Amino acid sequence: MKESRVSEKYMPKRRYLDYPMLFIVMFLVGFGLIMIFSTSSYKSTLNFGNPYHWLIRQCFAVGVGAVFMAALTWFDYRILNAKVIAYGCYGLSVALLIIVLFIGAAKKGAVRWISIGGFQFQPSEVAKIFLVIYLAYILSQNAHRMRTMAAAVKVIIRCLPIIGLVAYQNLSTAIVLTAMVGVMIFVVSPKTKELLGIALSGVAGLVLYLTFSNSYRNERVAIWKNPETHPKGLQTMQALYAIGSGGLFGKGLGQSMQKMGFIPESHNDMIFSIICEELGLFGAVCLILLFMLLIWRMLLIAMNSDDLFGSLIVVGFMIHIGVQVFINIAVVTNTIPPTGIPLPFISYGGTSILVVMAEMGLVLSVSRKIRM
Amino acid sequence: MKTSYKRRMLLMGGIFAFCLIFMAGRLGYLMIGQADKYLALAKDLHQREREIKAPRGNIYDRNGVKIASNKAVYSISVIHSQTKQKNKVVSVLSKELKIDEAEIKKKVYKNSVREKIKSNVEKDAADRIRKYELAGVKVDEDYKRTYPYNDLASKVLGFTGGDNQGIVGLEVTYDSYLQGKPGRILTLTDGGGREIDGAYEERDEPVAGNDLYTTLDVNLQNYVWQACEKVRKEKGAKRVSMIIMNPQNGEIYAMVNTPEYNLNEPFKLKGKKENTTGKKRQELLNQMWRNTCINDTYEPGSVFKIVTATAGLELGKVKVTDHFSCPGFRIVEDRKIRCHKTTGHGAETFKEGVMNSCNPVFMEVGARVGVDGMYTIFRQMGLFEKTGIDIPGEANSIMHNKKNVGAVELATMSFGQSFQITPLQLMRAASAAVNGGTLVTPHFGMKAVDSSGKTVKTFEFAKKKHVIKKETSETMRELLEAVVSDGSGRNCKIEGYSIGGKTATSEKLPRGTGKYISSFLGFSKAEHPTVMALVMIDEPKGTYYGGAIAAPVVREVFKVALPYLGISKDYTVDKTKK
Repeated sequence: MKESRVSEKYMPKRRYLDYPMLFIVMFLVGFGLIMIFSTSSYKSTLNFGNPYHWLIRQCFAVGVGAVFMAALTWFDYRILNAKVIAYGCYGLSVALLIIVLFIGAAKKGAVRWISIGGFQFQPSEVAKIFLVIYLAYILSQNAHRMRTMAAAVKVIIRCLPIIGLVAYQNLSTAIVLTAMVGVMIFVVSPKTKELLGIALSGVAGLVLYLTFSNSYRNERVAIWKNPETHPKGLQTMQALYAIGSGGLFGKGLGQSMQKMGFIPESHNDMIFSIICEELGLFGAVCLILLFMLLIWRMLLIAMNSDDLFGSLIVVGFMIHIGVQVFINIAVVTNTIPPTGIPLPFISYGGTSILVVMAEMGLVLSVSRKIRM
Repeated sequence: MKTSYKRRMLLMGGIFAFCLIFMAGRLGYLMIGQADKYLALAKDLHQREREIKAPRGNIYDRNGVKIASNKAVYSISVIHSQTKQKNKVVSVLSKELKIDEAEIKKKVYKNSVREKIKSNVEKDAADRIRKYELAGVKVDEDYKRTYPYNDLASKVLGFTGGDNQGIVGLEVTYDSYLQGKPGRILTLTDGGGREIDGAYEERDEPVAGNDLYTTLDVNLQNYVWQACEKVRKEKGAKRVSMIIMNPQNGEIYAMVNTPEYNLNEPFKLKGKKENTTGKKRQELLNQMWRNTCINDTYEPGSVFKIVTATAGLELGKVKVTDHFSCPGFRIVEDRKIRCHKTTGHGAETFKEGVMNSCNPVFMEVGARVGVDGMYTIFRQMGLFEKTGIDIPGEANSIMHNKKNVGAVELATMSFGQSFQITPLQLMRAASAAVNGGTLVTPHFGMKAVDSSGKTVKTFEFAKKKHVIKKETSETMRELLEAVVSDGSGRNCKIEGYSIGGKTATSEKLPRGTGKYISSFLGFSKAEHPTVMALVMIDEPKGTYYGGAIAAPVVREVFKVALPYLGISKDYTVDKTKK
């Protein structure tokens, strides 16, 4: 790796930054703020007397996120490619996830939050970045030793403590983490068929687990099958009402009825259903296209990255965004059983937007080192 | 970078692209394919329906005098989520509506969408509450049925309940005409049931109920009521009932059952009874609302001799000139059945027998006609069926089973005892006897008129012609006129008018308690009767003979009613009748 740094010094400086991606990110963040205002203003006025309560908080998180993103863009990501940092990330993740078990604040029944100086954040979100950095280091260092299945399994085992700790609190985030780990190993390991086999059996195992496990998760399968008749299917049905009443071009921005107390937390995980209602199929498909564009840009950056470490970081973040977008939309359209996953960039949630913007900062940082 | 890495990265990108395109397809299915279904469901969810009450139709008498209408009242309710100063709301509503604070507090603090505090609130109280401009307190317009004449014809008109539906009387029979179609306002509400300001509203206007025109005549009804009240007080009677009907077509001009009750306070009992509660109270209320002329049966007594005479004449078993002899009783099988004149009427013609209301004469006629003949005529004169009057709860006659009728039963039946009919059934039979043989349907309803003045429906009532021969009827008119001009009904005589009639005094069951019903049936003109009256005095004290106390009541009414109804005098005092 040293050679490239040296060579860079003597090469003509051709600064590159993936501007298309930057613009997509900026657009998504801006669009997210607009939708949060649209979805939360009615309930905010009812509960707090002004329509800006949630908007202001999200703007604050976006502001901090923008600082992080800018700093990480200018930051040389290769500094992270060090054993101390990698193991530090790993240790910190485990520590935070254990701490949250003891001092975490409960919300809606699950303990997921740590409060520091009045600000609450979710360790499981932060763990996503740390795990990607750790894994990118391990995999890029051992790339030449990844020929065997045993090596791949060894890496998977190393990640299990983190995934396990997250799964203990929040199954859907653990699924996202597993996807990220799996794909990163998949990219490096030549054992394509075996890994696909593991992935498929993993999915099968998950389906069996959901079907036959405890009542809480089993119930979700029941909701998914019969949202209209299941007593707890109301939220799913409300989302479907919103989506179904959007039509081709929607009711117009701000014209949603379902956000007026029908969909609980309409500015949160269910925000996509309101987007459908207000902007219609056209708006929803545009948003999906935008996410596809973003993934395509990240794919290009990963494929053209100067080193494997940077490339793997980008792949990890790409999976993060992609899987969350898919699960979120699949949940609101009742394509899969309901689970709480925020829509990246759009959903309300400080930690979520901060982590995603930091990730985008790192991806842009990787893009800056691409040699033309 | 190894190409194998790139290839696998590209594969992942491809999988994502596939997943997201699949989601776009799923969205397309939901938002286009199932849009109608979810749109309808969502609309159902968002719209709240509020009813706008339709005013109930008015009820008019035959001359267009309003006897039942509506008054604007208000209902006060609170919307929980919109009330701000809850304490103030409680104190204001308690003060203005005069309801206990604790009771209102319970409703104001109850976590429901909309809680009704009080309905039927008068306009000035509602206006005062409006002026406070309390958030979350709703004052909605409503209608309350009012009866401007209070007690007048209470047992005919009936009243309505809280939901504007008829409970008894004409209000029930013509409910479907009187009740309008309520309108509705569809408003959009949020998840908590709050109405959204400025949201698009759909509105269906209410359709007012049709007005009902009745055959009643307020002036006559009022006059008859006064007359009945007067005799009730004079005789200390339990009840006095009177029906005035046109025997030609069954139109009822007046139907009085004293004591009447105040239609504007139908649930209030008079005097001490007001303190009773529960089942007992409901019984007393039902008793108060009863229309004796229709809902109750009685032994008609001598008035029923009209039917017996008709049967005898119709079947040719007796002629006006036939001779009878009355020793003051008649032996039937092993019984000695007395005449009211125990010394006997002696030798008399059939006509004189009718004028004297002589029991042995009618027992003889009854025996001549026989059970079959009597029952045939009863059936033809509608005594085995309800009259079909347009008031609910009509009772039917209680007759002997034909095969159980022996000579004794036949004898008592022939002068109106040992069976029961309603006063209205008697009136209908008597009408047929004197109107030329047409069995009419007594009724009140004339027509339903909508709010623009267009007649929606003219009510038709069945008439059965020729139930008896015209000649029989003519004879009956002559006989009954003689009863009033020279017989037992002479207390109903009015100079100048030709009046027919028949008296009756029936002893109430069980016999021997000294309780009687005195009654009199009269009609005019004798030649062509267009008005018929039946009065019944229930349990009079002192003199109880129908001819003595009931006939004068009809005379008093006829004195005013005959000229009022445009019935001309038939003769002047100097001349004999034509």
